[in-house]
Amino acid sequence: MSALAPGAVIEIALRTLAVSGAALALAVALGVPAGLALGRRRFPGRGLLVATVNTGMGLPPVVVGLAIALMLWRSGPLGGLGWMYTQQAMVLAQLAIALPLVVGITLATVGALAEDWHLQVRALGVRGLRATWLLVRETRMGLLAAVIAALGGILSEVGAVMMVGGNLEGETRVLTTGILMYTEMGRFEEALALAAVLLGLTFVLAAALTVLQQAHRA
Amino acid sequence: MSDPSALGGLPLLSARDLEVGYAGGFALRVPALELRPGEVLAVLGPNGSGKSTLLRALAGLLPPREGALEVRAARGVSLVFQRPVLLRGGVAWNAELPLWGRGVARRERRRRAAAALERLGLSALAGRDAATLSGGEARRLALARAFAVEPDVLLLDEPFDDLDAIARERLSLDLRRAIGATGIAVALVTHELRQALLLADRIAVLRPGALVQLGPRDEVLRRPATPEIAELVGMANLLAGSIGERDLRSGLARIALEAGGELRAPSALSRGTGVIAGIRPENVKIDEAGDDPGRVGSGVVCELVSDGAIVTAWIEWQGVRLRSHLLAGRGLGHALKSGDRVHIAIRPEDVHVMPRPR
Repeated sequence: MSALAPGAVIEIALRTLAVSGAALALAVALGVPAGLALGRRRFPGRGLLVATVNTGMGLPPVVVGLAIALMLWRSGPLGGLGWMYTQQAMVLAQLAIALPLVVGITLATVGALAEDWHLQVRALGVRGLRATWLLVRETRMGLLAAVIAALGGILSEVGAVMMVGGNLEGETRVLTTGILMYTEMGRFEEALALAAVLLGLTFVLAAALTVLQQAHRA
Repeated sequence: MSDPSALGGLPLLSARDLEVGYAGGFALRVPALELRPGEVLAVLGPNGSGKSTLLRALAGLLPPREGALEVRAARGVSLVFQRPVLLRGGVAWNAELPLWGRGVARRERRRRAAAALERLGLSALAGRDAATLSGGEARRLALARAFAVEPDVLLLDEPFDDLDAIARERLSLDLRRAIGATGIAVALVTHELRQALLLADRIAVLRPGALVQLGPRDEVLRRPATPEIAELVGMANLLAGSIGERDLRSGLARIALEAGGELRAPSALSRGTGVIAGIRPENVKIDEAGDDPGRVGSGVVCELVSDGAIVTAWIEWQGVRLRSHLLAGRGLGHALKSGDRVHIAIRPEDVHVMPRPR
């Protein structure tokens, strides 16, 4: 049995980036606006929605995996998509894990802003999209914390992607599922190589986001 | 300051039978209020009377529950909060914000923001991070931000808070100059009576929940509608009494004070009515020659305080302590000592008679 070729490691790493990147992009695109709206507006049922989001922030990934699997299974409501054991299924699972994190942290960040801040922005005559832009600018630290938390959640996630992706070589194998598999097989060398790549990726991405977060206030 | 009635022109803001409030329950009623070009309206009132609420309503931040607010300010209404909120970013960016919000092009935005910063003496700080400013600097930045849009109406909530005496004077001068040059209308809420009087053409007085008096500055100072308002506008001598006989020759009413003394004053109230007689401290005169037509007898000086320009003397007279303001320096105040017996003159036209509230 030969050791894992460098090309194969790179391929797994790139697939990990593609899947997690897609999930993160979707989670931010959907979660930040939802969090801003939920943090700003008052409407009936808001409390229940916030409680749901907060529950979602602590959702065990295997439960998410199970739920997605049930939906994507041939007889499930989304069975027609044929996504089971594909990268789309993995993106969906990671999105389900990341979305509550993004919404929850965004909403907490916006909620922590004094009511006078919003009043001041209105008093300055800034409305609509420009006001939203100012809000994003003002809460940049918190919003990036939300992105960092989501990134950590999905990059390190293994249970759900294993269940709905299947760890198929060349198709749905990512760093975490690879590590799990090689460890179970007793091939610690390969497991360690993938683990090193995962750690390196996590560090580089988190560091980049941190630089962005702490950048001088322009 | 200029006489607003002479300016003519349509009011920039006018409220009629306005009621504004918060969901929590506090509401403020404003029967009628107008703001004309070039005038300064000072809003006075105790804490919690709704001064900030009124400004927020005039700025359009609080939708009226009842009545209507008409705004004819084409260039807009700027409100400066009591505790201004600066946004994350530089000083210059903060000054540009309202212009950016209105879609003003970058170059024009920069120019106007720089001019506004200059006006408030902040040019040297333009490159700083707004979060590093001191309280007074932050307040000046908030004012610069309001000036940057060159609004028709400027609403200022306690603009002199956190400013030292020099900055306060300078701001007053800046405001006067800006008002004179632009015809901007200003409504300002302040507990600094002195600053309010320096600037105001008209005074609006609030008590919790309602606007209770509105009039030209001197009218409100001399003829406050209630003892409560009198106290607020510095009518420090408030003496309880009742209307007595009317002097046939002069038409003046005699007022029998509860403490024992007697004053004469113009009043249409009927005999026996319980009243409060209000006299401003500057109208309690010391009558050196003893022949002033307003003489009311003699009293004993019991306390003296001077701020260098004005001497405040408390004089025991007929069982009450009158407060009198005298000029310091070479004036009478200079020679006065505690324990001196002095003749006091209070002219009938300086005695303002108000029905006693139940």
